[in-house]
Amino acid sequence: MNIAVCVKQVTDTEATAKLEPSSWRLDRSVTCILNPYDEYAVEEALRIKEAHGGEVTVVCMGPENATDAVRKALAMGADSAVLVSDPALAGSDAQATAYVLAEALKTFSWDLVLFGLRSTDGETGCVPGAVAEKLGVPLLSALSKVDIQGTTLTVHRETDEGYVAYECPAPAVLSVIKGINEPRYPSMKGIMSAKKKPLDIKDVGALGLDTTQVGLESAKTRVLSARSPEPRKAGVKVEDDGSGAEKIADFLTGAKLV
Amino acid sequence: MSDKEGILVVAEPKDGKLANVTLESITRARALTGAVGGPVSVVVMGADTAPFVAQAGRYGAERVYTADSPELAVFRPGPFVDTVAAAIAAADPAVVLCSGSPDGRDVAAGIAARLGLGLLVDITAIEAQSGAVTVTHPCFGGSLIVEKQATTIPLIATVRSNSFAREEAAVEPQVVALSVEFSADSLLAKVLAVACENAGIVSLEEASIIVAGGRGVGSAENFALIQALADELGAAVVADELGAAVAASRAVVDAGWKSHPYQVGQTGKTVSPGLYIACGISGAIQHRAGMQTSDCIVAINKDPDAPIFSCADFGVVGDLLQVVPALTEQIRKRKAAS
Ligand SMILES: Cc1cc2nc3c(=O)[nH]c(=O)nc-3n(C[C@H](O)[C@H](O)[C@H](O)COP(=O)(O)OP(=O)(O)OC[C@H]3O[C@@H](n4cnc5c(N)ncnc54)[C@H](O)[C@@H]3O)c2cc1C
Repeated sequence: MNIAVCVKQVTDTEATAKLEPSSWRLDRSVTCILNPYDEYAVEEALRIKEAHGGEVTVVCMGPENATDAVRKALAMGADSAVLVSDPALAGSDAQATAYVLAEALKTFSWDLVLFGLRSTDGETGCVPGAVAEKLGVPLLSALSKVDIQGTTLTVHRETDEGYVAYECPAPAVLSVIKGINEPRYPSMKGIMSAKKKPLDIKDVGALGLDTTQVGLESAKTRVLSARSPEPRKAGVKVEDDGSGAEKIADFLTGAKLV
Repeated sequence: MSDKEGILVVAEPKDGKLANVTLESITRARALTGAVGGPVSVVVMGADTAPFVAQAGRYGAERVYTADSPELAVFRPGPFVDTVAAAIAAADPAVVLCSGSPDGRDVAAGIAARLGLGLLVDITAIEAQSGAVTVTHPCFGGSLIVEKQATTIPLIATVRSNSFAREEAAVEPQVVALSVEFSADSLLAKVLAVACENAGIVSLEEASIIVAGGRGVGSAENFALIQALADELGAAVVADELGAAVAASRAVVDAGWKSHPYQVGQTGKTVSPGLYIACGISGAIQHRAGMQTSDCIVAINKDPDAPIFSCADFGVVGDLLQVVPALTEQIRKRKAAS
């Protein structure tokens, strides 16, 4: 079973995210990491490959330095990678990103496309659904379990009450949640061999992309402003001298919360 | 100018009723019709939509599109996207609002891609002025508040729970039955089973009060103290509110004391309840990312320097194993007295 895993490079949450006021694009001078959710997707792809054979291809859209995130996925064990990178793609919204990823996915054959549930920066969680629609294959999102028999998938989608089990033939687009597995750390050997694995960097021309569908200008959404929220002010803090609970209860009653 | 008018709310069922986020969206939509025109319509999908129609009308939906089909009994993106596309074709709205839940997100993503619509996700505010619609979206773990517009009409947005008030304004809705042909491709994924081991659970996104426990709770057994406080607070909230839910930090989930659906934070759920009580949670940035838009935060932690206190409206430095049961008792006493 050949698997494509779509990954994104995101800013580290520990670093404060900033948008450039001139373009409302992400200031990428801060520390970047492989989107934490995508580690679960990469791990799941590797487990499927280990059980059923096949190739794992990483697909990423991002700036040139997104090679760091891509190399991490390769170091975990993916076989090869495609990075779509072009200044014309800067400022693409979730829809444009889905278009680019779908076009990149049309350039090779796969049985499954895996995504992390969402990115920790834009946090839309909508790219998997949009990619599935563009590719014309079923979407199964927020999965906590994926089993494969031949070309049939049995998956669990997490719900508040428990889960819903679905059966679906490949090809399909899946997104996975934290908890589906425990992502491996890249080994030293993995990190070394990742440097030699094929990483194909493609620009807009190489993929034959329609430039009216990508980039800041053609985005179907516009950012008007971005600001940091008013920092929450620390309120009252009291030492518990045996009356702590009573004081909380007084506070809650006073604020009409109970 | 577009001649598209009105707002279509894509209903989300929850335990045989409409989810709160749907009722909140209908309520908010009513206030926007001045600028984007009417009507407020709702599309309800399921095996039997009759109860949803009545409820949508009670909250002021002037028109309700219904799709009754066994294929719509349990959520699947395929037939749900087909149905919403049919509702959009019928209603020709200027704005489409979906729930910010996983289901709503999948529908919105599919619709946006199919119809080429601007997609605005997880919004916490929506304003309209002479046709221009502006939304607010907290992102990067709540560290940035972004104001956005879509360049398409209609636009489609997903709404975060607990962002808008929920008010009844009963009308007799006009009911329009949709006839939707599902494509074979849409039905490729089949539902095998629905497991409801946590049936009746108050969903974290919809809860008006959340009591969350961290590593400081000490053990899975001790979570009974957290649950007891949630139960007591839940019983104390006014009727029609969804009540109180228990949540956990990632440290707790990683330790196996609670399962992943309980996790709040960057790799868990994003919640905005009226009251969030953090017990034995240090307040790491990844945890705060999921809860810092709560209206009121109370923290109980034995470390006076725990970062959680910097975002707490009320903090008690103390041992939660003492303070939490005492608080449960306080709430019980006050309820009995009132
Ligand atoms: C990529 C990434 C994603 C992450 N995503 C999430 C996420 O989604 N959600 C999340 O929560 N975390 C997340 N984390 C983890 C986060 O960084 C913290 O490690 C985690 O939140 C800590 O959980 P905690 O506060 O329960 O535990 P700790 O940090 O260990 O804090 C325990 C607290 O309990 C207090 N305490 C102990 N005993 C008592 C007592 N008897 N009475 C009162 N107080 C007591 C201590 O003083 C301490 O402050 C993520 C981390 C990374 C790197």
